[in-house]
Amino acid sequence: MVPQSMFDGIKVIDFSHFVAGPHCTKMLAEHGAEVIKIEPLSGDPARMLPMHKEGRSAFYVQHNVGKKTMSLDLARPEAQKICHDLIKDADVVVENFSPGVMKRHNMDWETLKTINPNLVMCSISCFGQDGPLSTLPGYDYIGQSYAGILDMNGEPDRAPVFADLTFGDVSSGTHAYAAIVAALFHRFRGGPGQHLDLCLQEILFSYHEMNVQLYHASAGAFVPKRSGSSHGVAAPAGIFKCNERYLFVLALGAQWDKLAKTMGREDMLSDPRFADLAARGANKEAVNKAVQSWLDSIGDPDEALKILQDARIPSAPILSVPEVMEHPHTKARNMVRTLVDPVWGELKVPRTPLRFSAFPDTPEQTAGFLGEHNHEILSEVLGYSAQQIAALESEGVINAKHI
Amino acid sequence: MTRKHVLEGVRVLDFSHFVAGPHCTRLMAEAGAEVIKVEAQIGEAARHLPVIKDGRSGYFIQHNRGKKNLCLDLRTKEGQEICHELIKTVDVVIENFTPGVMKKFNMDWEAVSKVNPDVIMCSISCLGQEGPLSKLPGFDYIGQAYSGVLGMTGEAGGYPALSGMAFGDISTGAHAYGAIVTALYHKVMGGGGQFLDIALLDCLFSYHEMNVQVFDASGGAQVPQRSGHQHAFVAPLGLFKCKEDYLIIVAIGAQWNNLVKLLGREDWLDDPRFANPLVRNENRDEINVEIERWLSTVSDVTEAVRILVQDNHVPAAPILSVPEVMEHPHMQQRGIVQTVNDRVFGDVKIPGTPLRYSQYPERLELQAPFLGEHNEEILRDQLGYSAEKIEALKTSGVLSEKNI
Repeated sequence: MVPQSMFDGIKVIDFSHFVAGPHCTKMLAEHGAEVIKIEPLSGDPARMLPMHKEGRSAFYVQHNVGKKTMSLDLARPEAQKICHDLIKDADVVVENFSPGVMKRHNMDWETLKTINPNLVMCSISCFGQDGPLSTLPGYDYIGQSYAGILDMNGEPDRAPVFADLTFGDVSSGTHAYAAIVAALFHRFRGGPGQHLDLCLQEILFSYHEMNVQLYHASAGAFVPKRSGSSHGVAAPAGIFKCNERYLFVLALGAQWDKLAKTMGREDMLSDPRFADLAARGANKEAVNKAVQSWLDSIGDPDEALKILQDARIPSAPILSVPEVMEHPHTKARNMVRTLVDPVWGELKVPRTPLRFSAFPDTPEQTAGFLGEHNHEILSEVLGYSAQQIAALESEGVINAKHI
Repeated sequence: MTRKHVLEGVRVLDFSHFVAGPHCTRLMAEAGAEVIKVEAQIGEAARHLPVIKDGRSGYFIQHNRGKKNLCLDLRTKEGQEICHELIKTVDVVIENFTPGVMKKFNMDWEAVSKVNPDVIMCSISCLGQEGPLSKLPGFDYIGQAYSGVLGMTGEAGGYPALSGMAFGDISTGAHAYGAIVTALYHKVMGGGGQFLDIALLDCLFSYHEMNVQVFDASGGAQVPQRSGHQHAFVAPLGLFKCKEDYLIIVAIGAQWNNLVKLLGREDWLDDPRFANPLVRNENRDEINVEIERWLSTVSDVTEAVRILVQDNHVPAAPILSVPEVMEHPHMQQRGIVQTVNDRVFGDVKIPGTPLRYSQYPERLELQAPFLGEHNEEILRDQLGYSAEKIEALKTSGVLSEKNI
């Protein structure tokens, strides 16, 4: 029988908060898994982040569509028992607490694998489950600092700058998603459950597609350093200004010949200072100056971009987020997904980048209110009576709120 | 049942080059898949990237460990026939040419799915398989420009800043890996083959964990703009200077209370101007003055981070250089820097795979292939070609090899 969705029947218990873990479980939900998100009584702290409407965080909505929600006090044994009972019948557990917290709640891998040996448990943290930094509080930018990412952003003689988006969190969520699915695939082919230990710092460190190797293989002769708006090694590869607009232009290999001709600078093609990639890198100021002068002579960024793109020279305008959302290409590919939230109404967020020909559509999904599915899960999944549920409510083990 | 890793037995035919595609197939090889990389006679572009020793690129080694190598001319009919025969035997086909190139080689999804209807084909591109921009030549930074990522990086009002690493390429490789294992899982559950369209643009755009939603939900009142050392929308979240060094401080959740106490400004706790991260951002100058004042009383950045993190549980970190990261005790203990022993290059240090499975705690020993290293082995053992036939393909220039 062909499954209705890719993760038809896969059950996920999700203890994660903020972005990295929730992004992972959102992807699982988008591909058909049943995700039950367990939040503390005060809610996932992401519910504090903007924008807000009637107490409802649009930030939370973006990262939690498609999940059922329970709100439990995990410090209480009754709540831990509920979780253990749910995990017995689950395929996946995801959490992104600081290492040690799950153990305090009797929900570490040692405990959970005795409850369900087929379980795939994924822990996402900033620094990993062991090592001297592991118990530090962690956020994306903390991981970026310790991975040597922030040091590589900005002008060489000035303070580093950061990208105003948490690519570490979101892409760590994707890495976790991939590791979980690989482990599910392994389990389907006869392997047991297992624990996955993923961390932002290590994922971010893997983004050095060149720096680590370059530093080591050059025996320290090449020290990676931030280089502002142009590339550290290659030229031209950087951001230029055309009138008031910034443009990115890159021309390596054969593209350099095309660019020199386009700029009317055939003289540079026979000049030994620009003979190959290494020479152009060594004389990058002269190369960049030639590109800038040409852009100044054109004066109109749209025209300059058209000339470059018609000549198949890699180039792009630096777009703002609103410009991206309005761009015809973005629209043609439905890159912006419009959610319909019960409080917010329509809300625009980025679409999942995973596109499957067998499942081309993004499902209709909403994010749960805090504790929205407490009753449903306790009574229908675990068979608790109305009195039992009422008792848990009055003792403050569970709660619910319309946020 | 013993298996050397989670993807053992999965076979992959890999037409990718540079970083995004090769990173995806590297992750697959590291998880035990058998990857056959197909390269053109001159070798793929990454073989020319530094550091180069005896013709061997350290850059290529990093992104191509654990793959077999078939070097053939895809423009020839014989070369395409060999690929079609191999496609019949594999689970996954991967490529990251500009859209349209695979069709020229008779290897677009339509052709591939005819040859093997159960195959999963993953096309990775900068801007996606369709849409007005799709045919443009693409690199990581092009995707960053069109996704609004570059626009969000750098000083307010100044030039945007390039990140000194290809995070778009690498993380798109990881997305492709995630999509492929999903499709493999679907296949073993009874689904068929399918086509995956993974674009850098989509991946990079998804990194706006806040900007798209804030712009939309504020009705356009909050416009995301790069803000250099401080976060655009929430505070305190930014870079600060302590003596000659930089550190980052993130105190947007419960840690705000801890920071306020450390700064001796408990009066802010019930001041409506500091009630939540968004309004704190409107008054962030006042906060930053207090943080800078406190930092001026601390001896150095190490001490500042210690006081913030250890004593007050306020998330903070020093800004480390790449060499400092490589030497850091934490990275050493976790083995984040992996030393690969290459047959020509000797030891090369690279970032290790960040996917850690408890069942397979050891990383597989893998070598990056020479150009065309496995031509004979693949044609003979997997396709049953005779020695004469292989020799003829060599002399006609369809196959070639080189120890680089």
